Amino acid sequence: MSKVLLMGQSNVGKSVLFNRLAGARATVSNYPGTTVDFDKGRMRIEGQDVEIVDIPGSFSLEPKDRAEEVAVKMLEETKGATVVCVIDSSKVERGLYLALEIIEKRHSVIIALNMADVAKDANINVDAERLEEILGVPVVPMVATRGEGLKELVSRIREAVPVEIEGIIKNVGGKSGTSSHS
Amino acid sequence: MDNNVTKFGSMFAAIMGIAALGFGIMEFVGEEWGPLTAEGGTFTAWRAIILLCAGVIYLSSVTNFIDVRQIVKAVAASIMIWIVAAMDIWAMIAASIPSGAEEAGEPWFASGADFLAAYGPPYMPAMYLLVPSLVIIYFITRRRIAS
Amino acid sequence: MWEVKVERALTADERWDLVDKITKEVVKVGAYKPGLRDALASLTVNPWTGIPFAIAVLYGFWTFFGEFAGLFTDGFFVRIFGTHWIPWLSGALEGLPDWLFTILVGDRAVFAEDFVGDPCFAAGGVLTTGLFMPFAVVLWAVIALFLVLAILEDTGYLPRLAVLVDTVLHKIGLHGFAIVPTLVSLGCNVPGVTATRLLETRKQRFMMIALLGVFVPCGAQIGMMEELIPGLIGWVFLTLAIGYLGFGWVLNKIWPGESPEILMDVPPYRAPQWSNILRKTWSRTRHFLMVAVPFVLLGCAIVMVLYATGAMDTIASGLEGFLAAVFGVPADATASLVVGFLRKDLAIGLLPIDAMTNYQVFISVILLTIYFPCLATFAMLLRELNWKEILATLGFLIVTIFVFGGILHLIGLAGGWY
Repeated sequence: MSKVLLMGQSNVGKSVLFNRLAGARATVSNYPGTTVDFDKGRMRIEGQDVEIVDIPGSFSLEPKDRAEEVAVKMLEETKGATVVCVIDSSKVERGLYLALEIIEKRHSVIIALNMADVAKDANINVDAERLEEILGVPVVPMVATRGEGLKELVSRIREAVPVEIEGIIKNVGGKSGTSSHS
Repeated sequence: MDNNVTKFGSMFAAIMGIAALGFGIMEFVGEEWGPLTAEGGTFTAWRAIILLCAGVIYLSSVTNFIDVRQIVKAVAASIMIWIVAAMDIWAMIAASIPSGAEEAGEPWFASGADFLAAYGPPYMPAMYLLVPSLVIIYFITRRRIAS
Repeated sequence: MWEVKVERALTADERWDLVDKITKEVVKVGAYKPGLRDALASLTVNPWTGIPFAIAVLYGFWTFFGEFAGLFTDGFFVRIFGTHWIPWLSGALEGLPDWLFTILVGDRAVFAEDFVGDPCFAAGGVLTTGLFMPFAVVLWAVIALFLVLAILEDTGYLPRLAVLVDTVLHKIGLHGFAIVPTLVSLGCNVPGVTATRLLETRKQRFMMIALLGVFVPCGAQIGMMEELIPGLIGWVFLTLAIGYLGFGWVLNKIWPGESPEILMDVPPYRAPQWSNILRKTWSRTRHFLMVAVPFVLLGCAIVMVLYATGAMDTIASGLEGFLAAVFGVPADATASLVVGFLRKDLAIGLLPIDAMTNYQVFISVILLTIYFPCLATFAMLLRELNWKEILATLGFLIVTIFVFGGILHLIGLAGGWY
């Protein structure tokens, strides 16, 4: 594994997660030719040093501003990277949209279902196991601010694999019992 | 939890808050008043700080006592008081066991009378707060039954 | 219908449609009631409430430790050794040649009629002080520390404490978990050194051990301070804390190597299982007995050889004038500073406090604390570090003493407090 990219919308606790993973060795870099800054650091996965990049927060891969453009570029430039997709557990829809886009681009994805505490406070329960079944990529519920779930996230980063979007479609279609093809 | 319990909870938090602040100030003064003593060496300033903080945390939980994020403050303040009180009691236990004698032939353990005398008054401020602070358990169980 | 489409890229509408289907399956609203444990987890890592709570927990930690160690050490073991074992042994081995008696039992002067002091600490022989230190003093401290540590671990509090202090410790290249060896060391530096194994890289371990040995006073020293200089303790601790953070920051800059993030498991709060806590405490205590005690015995033997051959006197007289000049402490106090070189727990008690100004006492106590790790700790240091790191630790120590002591000396001179 060459690199780990942290992707997600703004305000999903991405930078807290980045700081917890990269710790004291983070540096701020500027994307060449732009005013967009991003954080870069190193983390340890099973004793190995791996570069971790905090991609600027973006709503989707159809860029609407400079930061999102940079985000898309950075994702495209690092094809072999594993993408940690950070999703706010209380606003799963928005995060899933971006996650699906990244999955469609055939990246190895792992989902960090962050801010589980906020979701609980709002009486929202996200079934991480079911989500993992549907998507076919690892899904780890966590509370980055409290350090909960970090260890599991890192220990499962290697399980991240590219998956077929058709498989995901089948998985939800199959459940509703209306699979039209066969 | 119904309205009455919430009201009762707010009252409990307010009373405990004021009491903890009062006892915290006593720890700072560090003197003995009848059955209550705050004479306890160098740690007395820390006990004072803990009781004062517990008092403030109790008071911050007075409003909207039905919300778990408010109740939990009273729980944390109670735990802080339990820790201080438990250590006061533990100090009594530790002091009650050995005889304190140093010469060969003297008994190793304290006599029955000395043992019991070690548990008599005066008591430390947190020990007086311990009993009323246990009321928080009622709110915890009420919550559990309600949910 | 989108199910029949086979190309990879979906349109935005199709993607939203898929998102809807997935969320319908995995997201349930109203299924959870926010729990007390969760709320407590947030409260204890939020600085405003978390720091007071941490103070309470740490107060409990040290009070429990102090009373527990006091109960066994002062309540029983000082008497077992001081009244029974040591007098009996000195009588039984009296016929041995001087050099062997010195190594096994200790300085004969300690057993003279007119000796004032505690033979447990003062004798210094392998079979007297060498056994007294690990079994009568350190063992009980270690059991108490490991017991409380296991409780804090199993309830889930310890990792949260680490999260709470993570931000501050990161600034000096350490990790939140460095709080554990620091806490343990405030009880006893010996298991503190062992506890550095939690840290991931050699650099972090080396930094931690060096900082512990120099800036963290142990329970015995704190006890001495409480007895002799209660009014100055706050200042001593503040100064040590500044030294710990400041020198940690410097050390992090100059020592090569990495300080990567350590990922902690932060489990939910739960009631601890007592059987598990007792098992943990026991296995760690046993480990401590097996690895540390032989080193303490060896250390005692080496020191007593130095005494028996007169090498110690040479070292002491060589240092005296020098110490007086650099730190501005009176000549009387240097004797205690030299003793502190090897037994810092005793040294504070030997300071001629009445003959010194407050600032001289303050600077002497600081120097004694940062001086040199106690014998047992030094033995652990030899065990845990490689030669390069040991030399670096000693170098760090010497630099620290001069820089730190010198700065305090200058501050004192500038303030006119001498």
